[in-house]
Amino acid sequence: MSNQKLERGLRELYEQDPERADYLVFGRKTETDRRGFLKGAGLTAMMLAVGGAIPFARNMPSGLIPSALADTPEDFTLFGKTGIIIRNDRPVNLETPPPLLDPDVTPIENFFVRNNGGVPEPTADPEAWTLTIDGEVDNPLELTLAQLQSDFETVTLRMHLECGGNGRAGFNPSPRGNQWVIGAVGNGEWTGCRLRDVLQQAGLKSSAVYTGHYGADPHLSGEPGRPALSRGVPIDKALEPHTLLVWSMNGEPLPLIHGGPLRIVASGWPGSCSQKWLTRIWVRDQEHDGPGMTGLSYRMPRNPVPPGAEVPHEDMVVMGPMPVKSVITFPDTLSDVRADEAFEVRGHAWAGEHEVQAMHVSYDFGATWVEAELEPPSNRYDWQRWRARITLPTAGYYEIWARATDDTGVMQPAVVPGWNPRGYGNNSQHRIALNAA
Amino acid sequence: MRGRTTLRTGLTWACLGLMMAGGASGQTSDFGGLPPGPGQLETFGNCTACHSTMIITQQNFSRRTWDEVLTWMVEDQGMWEMPAETRQIVLDYLVTHFGPE
Repeated sequence: MSNQKLERGLRELYEQDPERADYLVFGRKTETDRRGFLKGAGLTAMMLAVGGAIPFARNMPSGLIPSALADTPEDFTLFGKTGIIIRNDRPVNLETPPPLLDPDVTPIENFFVRNNGGVPEPTADPEAWTLTIDGEVDNPLELTLAQLQSDFETVTLRMHLECGGNGRAGFNPSPRGNQWVIGAVGNGEWTGCRLRDVLQQAGLKSSAVYTGHYGADPHLSGEPGRPALSRGVPIDKALEPHTLLVWSMNGEPLPLIHGGPLRIVASGWPGSCSQKWLTRIWVRDQEHDGPGMTGLSYRMPRNPVPPGAEVPHEDMVVMGPMPVKSVITFPDTLSDVRADEAFEVRGHAWAGEHEVQAMHVSYDFGATWVEAELEPPSNRYDWQRWRARITLPTAGYYEIWARATDDTGVMQPAVVPGWNPRGYGNNSQHRIALNAA
Repeated sequence: MRGRTTLRTGLTWACLGLMMAGGASGQTSDFGGLPPGPGQLETFGNCTACHSTMIITQQNFSRRTWDEVLTWMVEDQGMWEMPAETRQIVLDYLVTHFGPE
């Protein structure tokens, strides 16, 4: 399925299916009387979009683009996103095309979205949002967002976030899940406090070995109180100074679709460790066993298996840090370039908990490699800018391959790495096609 | 046997009612893009109560994997148990249209 087919502006969504577009964009559901009943998030979003209250919102027919928006020439978009690939609309899962990953900090409007459940209603009073810390602690805590902001040191860090299933589309046979190609990754500028400081105030017992995270997002089945996802991290990861409780993204209040008003960012691990709409951290005396921790979810085979293997659950282990990886953000694939003329190829590289040590590109299908310039990260977990100047010798079809090497000497493979039942951890080299003339 | 038939009939009517009412997210006009064929109605009616068709149309699974997915939906994800006959129709539809490439 081509990206083009999925890249749909809101206008197109409305043309295809106005009622679904209503639901997607404004959360408005069609009732049996064929009128959308606007409330909560839907009404708020629509009012924001038209720039004022809609007194007769209840009477507004469903599937109608408010004329304030219909008259504007620009396409308006899902959750304020532009140029994004809609992998799934319920739950909402959005992938960033590589050229939009070019900035050092990924803009919010282009940042990928991974949801396992629904999107909760926005909170009327973010400062009163409450986080519970309990379990293997001496003093269980209930802290409001306002307390987190005032009682703990605030830090801002640039850190990448990547979905554990980024690259899943490359595996064969096809594993279950959203068929992410390469853009379920982004680099945000996150502001918050250290989870470590909060856990220390609660006082970790010696029995504390793992965290269990809970969020306010509803399960897709609609069953009340059922978590859509509840993952966690080993206590050492939770105590790392870069693991944050985040309330701001790129200098703005954390947007609802990114887990606002409060989320974890545990960079270098599968994105699902960075719980959105965070309400509770249950400190565990064992590996957490919430939804997303057991069975085949976010787990890899303990030993390598052949493609398509049926792996018994007891032979699966929880995924650890993400592998070394890079993306070519310029030029876009299928671009035209001039033969015998130097041009820049650039992108970003990251390496789970490691730093990227070297970056190479090839334009002859991996036969020879050119070393790229590689910038250091601004802080640990920031992705690293790389640039190379290359000259294609003749007219014709070329591929640019990009290969990052981490500080332990581990490289990205040219082909898709070990198959696993749910398709995690594909860090094969990003390739783009160029036509030289 | 009679009970099963009644249940199946009930479910089919529930599907039709759901569609006539507009469905949870209004994917009415085109079954959310599911291709036509035997099982289209049953698949749409049973699967889109919780999630959209987009997660279905992205996949290319073997019969075994689709079978596992349907079991997982019931055991882990809060889906209702389909009558065996309906389940078979849905499974056949999924394998026919979203089978291995």
